[in-house]
Amino acid sequence: MKYLVQSMIKTIPVLLLITLIVFLLIRVTGDPVSLMLPETATEEERDSLRESMGLNEPLPIQYFSYLGDLMTGDFGDSFRYNTDALSLVLERLPATFELAIASMVVAIIISVPLGILSAVKRNSFFDLFITGGAVLGKAMPNFWLGIMLILFLSVTFQIFPVSGRGTLGHLVLPAITLGTGIAAEMTRLIRSSMLEILEQDFIRTARSKGLRESIIVNKHAFRNALIPVVTIMALQTATLVGGTLITETVFAWPGLGQLLVQSVNLRDMAVVQAATFIIAIFVILSNLLADLIYRFLDPRIKYE
Amino acid sequence: MKKQLWLLLLVLTLIIAGCSGGETNSTEGEEPVETSDSKTLVIANGTDIVTFDIHDHNTTSTEAVHVNMFNYLVTNQGEEGFQADLAESWENIDDTTWSFKLKEGVTFHNGEELTADDVKFTLERVAKDDTLLEHGNYNQIEAVNVISDYEFEIVTANPEPALLNRLSRLGSAILPQEYIETEGWEVFLENPVGTGPYKFMDWQRDDRLTLEANTEYFGDAPKWEELVFRSIPEDSTRVSELLTGGVDVAVNIPPTDVARINETEGVTTVQSPTQRVMMLVLRSDEDSVTGDPLVREAIDLAIDKQAMVDSLLEGAGTVTRTRVTPGNVGANEDLYGESLYDPERARELLAEAGYPDGFELTLTGPNGRYLKDRETVELIAAMLSEVGITVNQELIEWSAFNQRYQERDFAEMFYIGYGNSMFDASLALDRLTIENAEGETDYDNQQVNDLLLAAEQNMDEEERAQQYQEAQEIIAEDRPQIYMFQLDAITGINERLEFEPLLNEMFYADSITLK
Repeated sequence: MKYLVQSMIKTIPVLLLITLIVFLLIRVTGDPVSLMLPETATEEERDSLRESMGLNEPLPIQYFSYLGDLMTGDFGDSFRYNTDALSLVLERLPATFELAIASMVVAIIISVPLGILSAVKRNSFFDLFITGGAVLGKAMPNFWLGIMLILFLSVTFQIFPVSGRGTLGHLVLPAITLGTGIAAEMTRLIRSSMLEILEQDFIRTARSKGLRESIIVNKHAFRNALIPVVTIMALQTATLVGGTLITETVFAWPGLGQLLVQSVNLRDMAVVQAATFIIAIFVILSNLLADLIYRFLDPRIKYE
Repeated sequence: MKKQLWLLLLVLTLIIAGCSGGETNSTEGEEPVETSDSKTLVIANGTDIVTFDIHDHNTTSTEAVHVNMFNYLVTNQGEEGFQADLAESWENIDDTTWSFKLKEGVTFHNGEELTADDVKFTLERVAKDDTLLEHGNYNQIEAVNVISDYEFEIVTANPEPALLNRLSRLGSAILPQEYIETEGWEVFLENPVGTGPYKFMDWQRDDRLTLEANTEYFGDAPKWEELVFRSIPEDSTRVSELLTGGVDVAVNIPPTDVARINETEGVTTVQSPTQRVMMLVLRSDEDSVTGDPLVREAIDLAIDKQAMVDSLLEGAGTVTRTRVTPGNVGANEDLYGESLYDPERARELLAEAGYPDGFELTLTGPNGRYLKDRETVELIAAMLSEVGITVNQELIEWSAFNQRYQERDFAEMFYIGYGNSMFDASLALDRLTIENAEGETDYDNQQVNDLLLAAEQNMDEEERAQQYQEAQEIIAEDRPQIYMFQLDAITGINERLEFEPLLNEMFYADSITLK
């Protein structure tokens, strides 16, 4: 409990730093007014819009007023949608969570059996095939894989719908696109982690007791091999969120990623700030969760 | 173990594919594209609509959706002129007063009747609130005076020959005063109410907007039961949706995909001109090398615009020597559809101007703002180098470009594309008056200046158009701007539909019909 409280307190400076970095980055990369008004707008029109958006104040004043509002839970209004930024972000979370969970499921379905097999059949053709495939999976860019899946499975064979969100079928291609990269990483990690465990004394003991190989692998080795895998799964959460930016755009998936991409393109500052803040909290929480799961998987780990 | 795994994966795929049923077709590859429904029209846009506040956006693609839910007083049908919409008739009483009569018996989607008070409420809001994005296009309106339930007058501060142009474009749809005043703007933005042939059903941001037929519509009965506007930002995904019958109409098809769509049975593409004209803007002050009219002419003659249309745009554009293209008030059609290209003469002109060995200049262009903008700038640079002009290309991201554009901080030339939502020459040419050109082109031609200023407030339609046409001829010779081409819009459609795209890029759902 004490550990939890301490971790929570530690997140405050991290979050503050994130707000500052995002605040500055979005402001130095371009002027939203220039993107909102047409080429033909006059100087007066630009100035009056800048003033109504509070962009004519000096940066430090803008930042502190933003922080002040943040304390009261006010993330400001979206320029683009003219509505509360936080509710825009929260409205998108279910779609993104749905995609993230489905991608993780895809990653687990692919990586757990392949990782174990690859370790058990070490140096076989099968192992070589899987490790080679993992490198390929990791190297494929999301947008390319997404477009290829659409062309192959939606346009040519018409098995899955092309884009949008709705039925379970709509979820398959984006989840495979996003899950593949993570599966590749996890497969390699499960393999190496299993290899390490399989050579340890307690496995030898189990074998000498005459236990069946399947029990040794599935029960004794795999559970112990899970510890580093859980770490990587938690760390992959950040990758997952990054991946949704591209995957959601390719598949017109109405989630947080697409919202963030469009908001960055239009310099919709309030939405970018709210979205990154929520994502930061999400990443911090998933890391914390990983710490707690460790403890469950390996009771030797104690938090003092 | 291995067998079990593959079996499991196969079963999972089958289950999931089974669940997806309904919306997909099980036809294969080259077979004709099928669509499921003759009552629903699905249109794929590249972006979502931004808001239902018609006064607080300036996005054509949003207006293209809104026109199905709201009505203007009059509509601009291009060459056919202005047509009655909510207004039954109108008259220009004096230089600054216009009187209008509304159609009777028009109701909003919530049952309220449309009256002149709604018009006053709507137009005065945008004319007076300077925080609204469309304010600049309506602040010419001083007041709307209600005469009776169906009659009103619009008073402008100065003579405003383009008033009907203003009233037939985004920002002037008439809104329900009582609904907005009793419920508040927030409720209106969640549940918008208009007078149009389709009414609001549901909006999932960045996904889809669904409208349903308004059976009480005052005009012809709506042709579709349901309209769905989907937002699909990725070009190739939008094309794939069209190819599989997921959508009936897909906008902004990249030129490179046109052949592929046309080769697929069941879908096709249509091309139509847009209001956007791409151009080089040149400094014409004496301190710049481009200040010499001979140099500007040489630059014009050195660039083969038709080749750019053919190769870069795959034909999806029209060369022009004026920015005021057909369909706009004051267009000079003699200058449209032609361009000059004569590299030999360009070399001679450069020698005549005292640059037999050429010279160096800087060309700034945005990267990623317009269709093939980077490629166009690179091609222009290559063509200019053929006649001896060395071009330093400066390609920058749009918002950085725009920053410098506002500060008027470019060297000799920059590349830009202007739209024109007013369908009038005034907006197209207003950067070329002496006052507005300062610091940008520094173009200083008294005759053009006088013509433009006179036309701006001339209430005599015919004379006004002539003034603009004359100004365009002089500008085409002076070349403070060298026009490259007018961009076409390429729209993909399912062949079961009849659809002719409009110059203003609106999607009137009822003009899209089943064959």
